[in-house]
Amino acid sequence: MKLTGNCKISKNGVFLDGEFQKQLQPVDENWKKEIYSKLAIDYPKFHKMDALAKMAFLSVEILTTVSNIDKFKDSEIALIFANNSSSQNSDLKYIHSYNVKGSPSPSLFVYTLPNILTGELAIRHKWYGENCFFIEEKFDVEFFLEQVKFYFKKGAKTCLCGWVNSFEDIEECLVFNIENKGTNDTILKEQLLTLYNQ
Amino acid sequence: MSDLKQTLKEQIIEQLNLEDLTPSDIQDDAPLFGEGLGLDSIDALEFIVLLEQNYGIRIADPSEGKEIFQSVNSLAAYIEKNK
Repeated sequence: MKLTGNCKISKNGVFLDGEFQKQLQPVDENWKKEIYSKLAIDYPKFHKMDALAKMAFLSVEILTTVSNIDKFKDSEIALIFANNSSSQNSDLKYIHSYNVKGSPSPSLFVYTLPNILTGELAIRHKWYGENCFFIEEKFDVEFFLEQVKFYFKKGAKTCLCGWVNSFEDIEECLVFNIENKGTNDTILKEQLLTLYNQ
Repeated sequence: MSDLKQTLKEQIIEQLNLEDLTPSDIQDDAPLFGEGLGLDSIDALEFIVLLEQNYGIRIADPSEGKEIFQSVNSLAAYIEKNK
């Protein structure tokens, strides 16, 4: 298995393949919208997404500007995402909508499952292969690689993985692409841990 | 009327949870569904709630929605006519 690309975003900035992207450096609190504007993307649905989906969307947009993932058929691309906060931010907003504001909000309800973000990515990029979303206690490299191996056995040629969290003051997203070739697992694990801790 | 449009834009942002947007991002005559704001059928439900809660207007015929929710202009005109 080989790491073929990665992108990490947070309010502190964007790292693409480990390199800080100065031109995408956000300066204000509304940092996700700022990065969206700097990317000059025209995708109005972005504004409706919750923070989880926005971060995954932006990370993958940035990653796909340099990755060769499009060389694969969409059925050969598996999406494997995880976090440890599920969709709690949206869950709480949804509860607020009916407890305080008086009526349950359909547009909030849509995002009360974290795997909606994999659907958003699938729609945006027309990737209709396997996708899954797991809730894990922490970023677990071993777990990701187990899932990657599973999907390679099922016919995937590349796995786009992501760890994306949005809860209270934590907003983080790391996406990385793994292909079924080359590098041994030990090196790959070290690479991924280094990226996560960067 | 312009006050109503400004209020409507604020209410749309609040009701539809478009946290990133400001009223100035929404043009009076821009389509709300499809291209413009990229809204869909889920959001149409939000508009129905918005009209009922804020203006006491109930849309009796759902088929009217397409025309009423076309833009901030059409929404404001409908409210002015029916409030």
